[in-house]
Amino acid sequence: MIKLENVTKVYKGDSVALRDATVDIGKGEFVFLVGASGSGKSTFIRLLNREEVPEHGTIYVAGKDIGALGSWKVPYLRRNIGYIFQDFKLLDNKSVSENVAFALEVIGKPRHVVRKQVPAILELVGLSEKINSLPSELSGGEQQRVSIARAFVNRPLILLADEPTGNLDPQTSVGIMRLLDRINRTGTTVVMATHDRGIVDTMRRRVIELDRGVIVRDQARGVYE
Amino acid sequence: MAISPLYALRETGQNLWRNLLLSLATIITIGVSLWLFGGFFLFNYAVDNATARWEGGIEFVVWMDPEASPEQDGAILEAISTSPDIRDHTYVDQDQAYEEFKEIFSDTPELVEVVSPDVMPPSYRVVPVDPDADVVEELASQFEGRPGVKTVVSANDTIRAIQKQADEISIVFFIGSIILLGAATLLILTNIVSAIRNRGREIEIMKVVGATNWFIRIPFMLEGIVQAVIGAVLAWGGLYVIDRKVISGLSDPDSLELMAGFEVSDSEFLSTSLLVLGIAIAVSVIGSSVAVTRYLDN
Repeated sequence: MIKLENVTKVYKGDSVALRDATVDIGKGEFVFLVGASGSGKSTFIRLLNREEVPEHGTIYVAGKDIGALGSWKVPYLRRNIGYIFQDFKLLDNKSVSENVAFALEVIGKPRHVVRKQVPAILELVGLSEKINSLPSELSGGEQQRVSIARAFVNRPLILLADEPTGNLDPQTSVGIMRLLDRINRTGTTVVMATHDRGIVDTMRRRVIELDRGVIVRDQARGVYE
Repeated sequence: MAISPLYALRETGQNLWRNLLLSLATIITIGVSLWLFGGFFLFNYAVDNATARWEGGIEFVVWMDPEASPEQDGAILEAISTSPDIRDHTYVDQDQAYEEFKEIFSDTPELVEVVSPDVMPPSYRVVPVDPDADVVEELASQFEGRPGVKTVVSANDTIRAIQKQADEISIVFFIGSIILLGAATLLILTNIVSAIRNRGREIEIMKVVGATNWFIRIPFMLEGIVQAVIGAVLAWGGLYVIDRKVISGLSDPDSLELMAGFEVSDSEFLSTSLLVLGIAIAVSVIGSSVAVTRYLDN
């Protein structure tokens, strides 16, 4: 599903964010990206979404070389990739259902599709009772659930999560991880950058560790260390 | 998938409403600049139409000395009659000149009383073949200073003075309107950049979930176009006032006779209106394109 071949990303000032990374992630896998701040986890995720372009190497997503995509095709790539942020990035002036519907409306989905899919995904994330609430009326965990619903409403093949539990307490984080696990069991590939040792150790999924841009460990059913 | 017209209109309306004061400032600046720009064209049309009429009826007058000898008079008449550059001429003798004088000064009988036909200079009213101002002046100068000729007068000097004044006014209109159009373009750009910054998070989400660039751009570009079109409608109203009140008022037959013909035809008004609308759309497309290209795509 995702394949990186000798990928190097260098930022201005010769700061190397990712160095000669080669990784193969299969369909339906759940992968944790771990490492210290500045180790290249976020760059790894941004490269998969074509928010960044590598200086060297090739990235394949669903069999396609995304570096070779014309800029006009990038939006279509992103429709197959859900994205979850640490700070949720919900639109404050829109209700829960409007936030989720927004993700479908802006890619031109017809109204009847929006009306059908939004309640279904909100039920999946356990927010059916809060469809008309504003983000300011929700707890952090609930806001992250809305963010997950927005990322998954279009049923993407891949879900990228950049520190999704970084702003949440441990108990709430467990609930979010259960939700991501449930989504993963539907066949969706999940790549999650995290600092949360407890979560990684509990879930025992594949762990890719980065250190100053270099992949230093790639372990099936790994722990944080 | 195409952008829904309802979505585009709703987003455009929200953008305009969020930046209401800046939107109003932009619309007013566009309106005033286009009004001046269109006014420049209407004024030029009116001046061209008026001077064309003056030039069409242009003539010069060779005033003879009342004491001129018959030989001198005959020489001038022969020169006028044989010149290939002269289409027609009329001789106005002293009695006819006196009748004209009485008619012109009928409101001041005391002036008429002190003048008699014998002091009135006879004259030749000469109509040249070519009404061009330079040709007429050159032709008239051939009679200047000849024996028996008192003076030669043409309407050229008056027309040129009016044209010069009109040109100066036009240039002020034109420069003012160009400066304001530049300001309007910058205001549209500022307005859209402000809207883009206000909606930074929305735009970020749209990009992440896979909205196309055009889907993101169109509401912002429409915002600029809507402002420009409203400005153009305001300008059109102002131009209508100029045309129907100012220009038509000046060309009123009861007003100055000189201004007869100072008018704008319906087709000229229509073409000016369309030009104003075209400029408005061009200005808005330039302003909004720069804004979305520079601040949205990066």
